[in-house]
Amino acid sequence: MTALIVGGAASGKSAFAEQLLCKLSGSAPRIYLATMRPFGAEAKARIQKHRTSREGLGFETIECYVNLASLELPQGSAVLLEDIGNLCANELFDPTGRGDGAADAVVRGVERLQKRCGALVIVSNEVCSGGTIYAGDTLRYMRLLGEVNNRLAALSDLVCETVCGIPRIYKGEIST
Amino acid sequence: MIFITGPLYSGKRSFAKGLLRCDDAALSERCALDVHELAAGCADLESLAERLSRYEIVTAAELGGGIVPLDPKERTARERAGRLSCLLAARAGTVVRMFCGIPTVLKGELP
Repeated sequence: MTALIVGGAASGKSAFAEQLLCKLSGSAPRIYLATMRPFGAEAKARIQKHRTSREGLGFETIECYVNLASLELPQGSAVLLEDIGNLCANELFDPTGRGDGAADAVVRGVERLQKRCGALVIVSNEVCSGGTIYAGDTLRYMRLLGEVNNRLAALSDLVCETVCGIPRIYKGEIST
Repeated sequence: MIFITGPLYSGKRSFAKGLLRCDDAALSERCALDVHELAAGCADLESLAERLSRYEIVTAAELGGGIVPLDPKERTARERAGRLSCLLAARAGTVVRMFCGIPTVLKGELP
């Protein structure tokens, strides 16, 4: 089961994704795949906020900033991948990233995860509903994330958008 | 409380007016409008949400769907507006999202 959870800033993506993964994972080992590089005080505070929110849910945290396809995880793990916005930015702008091949790098990484995981919940970001007056690298990033979101939605069983903490389902259903 | 969200100019206020069948003066008495503007300068969002949830209708614009702003103040404001909306939606009996003037009920039912 692969689920894609997309939402804007502070729309309740993470809390919903955590709940969903816990529901889907059963007794499988829970892995949190973190993608944000801990640069600066704000990033560190954000990481801490997410760590606190996951506390007690039994997640092992593994960091992966680029080249998701090379990551080796135990077969049958339940994985929460957070988030695609950071992974895309790293692949596009980081010297160790794939640059022009960023979209394929991210999608192939997810496809590989999908084969190894029993449950996979992917958190991604909506960044294209806030205007079009952007230039150069920003627009390039928006196009990349838009393409990746579309491709990930196509390979997911469940696609939800979070709106003020409430999931709006576009594809599949949440089993109760 | 009915919480109405949606992009800027998506018809939140008109929809609220239709629900209450009232004029603009009564609307501003009975509703808390555009509360995303209150979030930026507020450190205690829980109390703010608690206070706002006593109104019949609360409206807030969805601001989080764009590129992360470069300015740290704008980033914080956007983050707080989003959090406030989550807190209000959790307290609301009904949550509606407007799109081009068309309502989608995300939680509960319309009266």
